[in-house]
Amino acid sequence: MGLLAAGIGAGIVAIGAGIGIGMIGKAATESIARQPEAAGDIRGAMILTAAFIEGVALFGAIICIILALQG
Amino acid sequence: MIQTFRRLFLTILFLSVSTPNLFAADAAEKESESPIDIMGTVADHDYFKFFGTKLYLPRIIYWSDGEGSSQLSTFSSTKKAIESGMFEDVDNALVPTDGVIKIDLSITSHLVYFWFGLGAVALFTMFAGSRYKKGVGRDIEPQGAMQNLFEVFFVFIRDDVVRPNIDEKKADKYVPYLFTIFMALAFMNTFGLLPWAATATADITVTAVLALFTFVITQFSGTKDHWVHIFWFPGVPFGVKLLMIPVELIGLLTKPFALAIRLFANMMSGKIMIIAILGLIFIFNDMYGSVAAYGVSIFSVSMTAILYILKLFVSLLQAYIFTLLSAVFIGMAAESHDHDEEHYHAEHAA
Repeated sequence: MGLLAAGIGAGIVAIGAGIGIGMIGKAATESIARQPEAAGDIRGAMILTAAFIEGVALFGAIICIILALQG
Repeated sequence: MIQTFRRLFLTILFLSVSTPNLFAADAAEKESESPIDIMGTVADHDYFKFFGTKLYLPRIIYWSDGEGSSQLSTFSSTKKAIESGMFEDVDNALVPTDGVIKIDLSITSHLVYFWFGLGAVALFTMFAGSRYKKGVGRDIEPQGAMQNLFEVFFVFIRDDVVRPNIDEKKADKYVPYLFTIFMALAFMNTFGLLPWAATATADITVTAVLALFTFVITQFSGTKDHWVHIFWFPGVPFGVKLLMIPVELIGLLTKPFALAIRLFANMMSGKIMIIAILGLIFIFNDMYGSVAAYGVSIFSVSMTAILYILKLFVSLLQAYIFTLLSAVFIGMAAESHDHDEEHYHAEHAA
């Protein structure tokens, strides 16, 4: 049961993180296309924001690992 | 003084190594039911592996025996500890025959690679430092690949990570710490790519300690505004001020926690992924015979090669992200608001 929950949880976490990082990537590429001279700043902001989203996703992943190891 | 410490350290190191700890790969390693041990490759070990040879590391344990008296015991290896009769092996963990372990200070493979990382940074910076002292790089342009590489990394950290994120007047004070942590993480992460090596950063204790450094430095560089924002949030009604205190306190602790977890999970997942994909060969060999294993190996090996390139990128990226976030956190705490409240909120709401 714990294993099943961990698997489903990991899947949902991946969906959430994927949507989030995808939206950042979309916004960043659009802004770089619109204003190529600001590419450096935009890239920095993109990596920073992506790291925050990844952090949230990793909280979920850790919970899933703990569940799987207990189950 | 430093000379004395160095002699002492070398003596201890020599004593711990000179006892015959070097065993050829144990033939009697026990067979697990699974053909490949995935967690074993990321777990911490009591030995240091080098080209199939294992160098057993000393165990230093602070423990209290049955009568309740505490003592510090050192053994040159786990085997020696068991031979002494004071400890026994329970599920691959060292447990006293009588009493409890208080603190386990044993040197482990992850700790050794942590030292390697820091040692590599020390050598690298000392090398570059001696060059700059001679004037190479100041009066004339930097010479050789190593010094150019150093300058690329250093200038990158100083100009692209630290200075944009921390108040200009204070920024240069934090460059040494952030440069050290960047280089140490880059070395530790890339050492983990060596086939026989352990990734020190795939251990939550290592990343937690590094995040703790950032946390402590952040708090000590916090200005009055930083603490006011935590305990008495400006510009909101009284009730909200009370409500904001626990929220801000949790936010304070989440930052280093996320920092530690991010690095740990990234490095561990990369390692597990590579082992799992390579392990498919052995699993297929067990289940469907050697022909299937040959077939899978074409997929597995090419996939691993791609993953290795990705992991090289990720290990440098994670070192960068750790440093960048440390700089951002320190910068947020060290910021002093000379400008008025109105301006501040307009700026930070965006």
